[in-house]
Amino acid sequence: MFGIVSITAFLVVFSGICAHCIASAAAKGYRWRPIDILKTLVHLFTLLFLEQKLNVVGILRKLIYLLALLCFVILLITGFYPVLTHGEQISGYLLMLHATFAPVFAGCLAVLAVMWAHNCRFNKSDWPRLQRIIYPRPSQRGGIHREAANPIRVDDTLNNGTSREPVTPRHTLLQRICFWLIVVLALPVILSIVLSMFALFGTKGQEFLLDTHRYSALLLALIVIVHTYLIIQAKLKQ
Amino acid sequence: MIKGLIVTCILCLVTVLAGAAEVSEELIGDKGEGSRAIPVHLIPLIEEEGQKISPDDEPLLPFSVRQTCGACHSYDTVKTGWHFNAVDANVAPGRSGQPWILADGGTGTQIPLSYRLWPGTFKPEQLGLTHWKFTELFGRHIPGGGPGELESDNPDEVVRGFISGKLEINCLSCHDADPAHNQAEYALQIARQNFRWAAAASCGFASVSGSAASMPDTYDPLMPQMPDDPKLVPPTIIYRENTFDHKKQVFFNIVRKIPAERCYFCHSNSDIGQTGEGKWATDEDVHLAAGLTCVDCHRNGLEHNITRGYEGEAAASINPLASMLSCQGCHSGEDLTTETTAGRLGAPQPRHAGIPPIHFDKLTCTACHSGSWPRQKTIRTKTSLAHALGTCSVDKSDDVLPHIIYPVFAKQPDGKIAPCKLIWPAFWGSLKEQEIVPINLEIARQGAELIAGKTLTSIGDWPSLTEESIAKGLALASSQGGIGGEPVYFCGGKVYRLDDKGKLIATEHAAAKPYLWPIAHDVRPAAQSLGAVSCRDCHSTNSPFFFGEVEIDTPVVSEKGSVKKMVAFQDLNPVYTKLFAFSFVFRPLLKVVALGSCAILGAVLLLYGLKALACIVKALSEN
Repeated sequence: MFGIVSITAFLVVFSGICAHCIASAAAKGYRWRPIDILKTLVHLFTLLFLEQKLNVVGILRKLIYLLALLCFVILLITGFYPVLTHGEQISGYLLMLHATFAPVFAGCLAVLAVMWAHNCRFNKSDWPRLQRIIYPRPSQRGGIHREAANPIRVDDTLNNGTSREPVTPRHTLLQRICFWLIVVLALPVILSIVLSMFALFGTKGQEFLLDTHRYSALLLALIVIVHTYLIIQAKLKQ
Repeated sequence: MIKGLIVTCILCLVTVLAGAAEVSEELIGDKGEGSRAIPVHLIPLIEEEGQKISPDDEPLLPFSVRQTCGACHSYDTVKTGWHFNAVDANVAPGRSGQPWILADGGTGTQIPLSYRLWPGTFKPEQLGLTHWKFTELFGRHIPGGGPGELESDNPDEVVRGFISGKLEINCLSCHDADPAHNQAEYALQIARQNFRWAAAASCGFASVSGSAASMPDTYDPLMPQMPDDPKLVPPTIIYRENTFDHKKQVFFNIVRKIPAERCYFCHSNSDIGQTGEGKWATDEDVHLAAGLTCVDCHRNGLEHNITRGYEGEAAASINPLASMLSCQGCHSGEDLTTETTAGRLGAPQPRHAGIPPIHFDKLTCTACHSGSWPRQKTIRTKTSLAHALGTCSVDKSDDVLPHIIYPVFAKQPDGKIAPCKLIWPAFWGSLKEQEIVPINLEIARQGAELIAGKTLTSIGDWPSLTEESIAKGLALASSQGGIGGEPVYFCGGKVYRLDDKGKLIATEHAAAKPYLWPIAHDVRPAAQSLGAVSCRDCHSTNSPFFFGEVEIDTPVVSEKGSVKKMVAFQDLNPVYTKLFAFSFVFRPLLKVVALGSCAILGAVLLLYGLKALACIVKALSEN
């Protein structure tokens, strides 16, 4: 059951990301020549580098983020590979890898939560954007392309040209939402597995904790993927 | 047309009558009327020819259980039971169980035997043991029936069988609750070949003297004449005074609920080298301590297909309770849609707090709960069946063969790890196209005595075999010929053979693999089960469960003291197992980091959650 749910969820998210990626590239007039693709890939690779303008805290923040990302990839592979390919529970060396990188990921997440929480807090400028996302007006439907092409105009549009209040760009708001979802979901993911290590829960409780860990980890993984995609999008725009 | 109708009617009538006759074969004791009260068994004694026994009969014959009990209970149905049906090739062997072990110190032999098709055991015939010889050897702990009732093809044994009689099923071995019942006397009578008298001799109201084994072939037990030699005493029975009432009936203290002590005669274990060395120093099974008896779980109906109680037994057993009377059946309940069996007989439902459910896929219940607590090195144990415990002339020394190693945590065919007993087979045999044929023990003994130049004792510990003596034995077997293959000696997991130059070589061989059988008792209480203290009961780099040393038992002097790690029996990668165990060193750290991270994440959420709440409150106030 969990295997089917996982496969479906990953397919939906990756399909969505691919569709969005293609659509936004098409809107920008991106040409799918090998040289352009290579350039984009190199550009993506350079995102891993530390920028010179970063101060010590910035460097630390990026390093921790990259470490968290590495741990996430390892946890994702070790956690979902046996489920998706063999329909089995995680065991053997994969389990050991999973258990080794899990506390590192948890630690990084905690540090990142502290470092990013202030920047990712919601403020007044998020409200109009949130309203537009929840109740999109016909004129703004599909406005993503225009938004990407000309953010200032979009901001004006969102405010109906009447307000001087700054409006958060859509991807920034989504990043914030993803960030807080990650922080919230990290708790059941970590607690469910740590509590199962204490002699507190019986077999039924253990099974419940394991299911909680699986499903919350799946959700967390999907959101981290979306969050990462949004960050990459934002960086590429810059 | 009319003739056809008549023939059809006659055929129908015959069928109905035959059916009715079959129904009428159900005897009075075959089906209870529902009362839980025990019927008083005040019954006449009947000898094997079907005649009632009177105390003034001359000669006085032993009663036949088949006739006496069979008057009210269908003997043929009873003999299909698990304790009696080993010789029936149509019976599913089920999970591997304790074999009979033919041990002979003189030839360095200990070999597991079974009539059932348990992988790793040998058929008694392969060792030259006829049914009659098998009964003579092992009948001491057989409640009759099985090989004891089969006819022999050997003319000599037919003659001896007429004198000794058949070893009928001895219902009293289990159902006689008379405190004077003496099963050791039964064993003694078997040793004397008094098969016909054995059951009666075990009763409190009869006494048997003499020995059929010492009688000449011409002796007729039904018309006995005193032999000329005064030293020879023919088997004779005496019924004690007041055994018969005025109707010439005898009272048997028969019970349905068999006392554990009856089972213990054949199903006792004694660990060697345990603290205190005595039953007084060891605890009994927790179920018995709680007031249950063996037959509360090991149940059967008239067909005596007693439940063995292991998981998956239902696939091999026709007992309808087979799926329910297991650990899981009583403690956790079976997946029945209509009713649950959990808590049967007051069985507590286990909580297994902190035990990840994966353990229940990888381990049997007994792995954590049964047998003695594992130690760094396995111990040896004695069992009733293997060491004749409870009989009169038992060898009490610690080193006596066979050597049973215990507890060994080994993977079972169902993929779960269970605690097992183990023996390393050791025997002389022949190897032909990878097929192993053990050499008849008598022939092996003759060869061993020829090499040793003296008569060898068959009891006691291993002989001190050297490579040289093994080579001599193999060379002798080669020179004699007639064994139908390459002579070899198996022991300690290796096969010893001579190469083309006559030099002894030893290699590991599948046929020399140890024979293991899972154990279930004695069950320890939950507080003393593995994992009750911590995960490190098993998951530590030196835990006996994975890294305990299993003794490789061998008579070869140069191989003595060698061991094998427990993990080798579990089909696990030793490096992985070690690493996994090592990872538990860091588990407390993992917990601290994870909980600390959760605390920080929670604090961040709380902080910004409160801030958000403050904003909302402020906004609402302004509005």
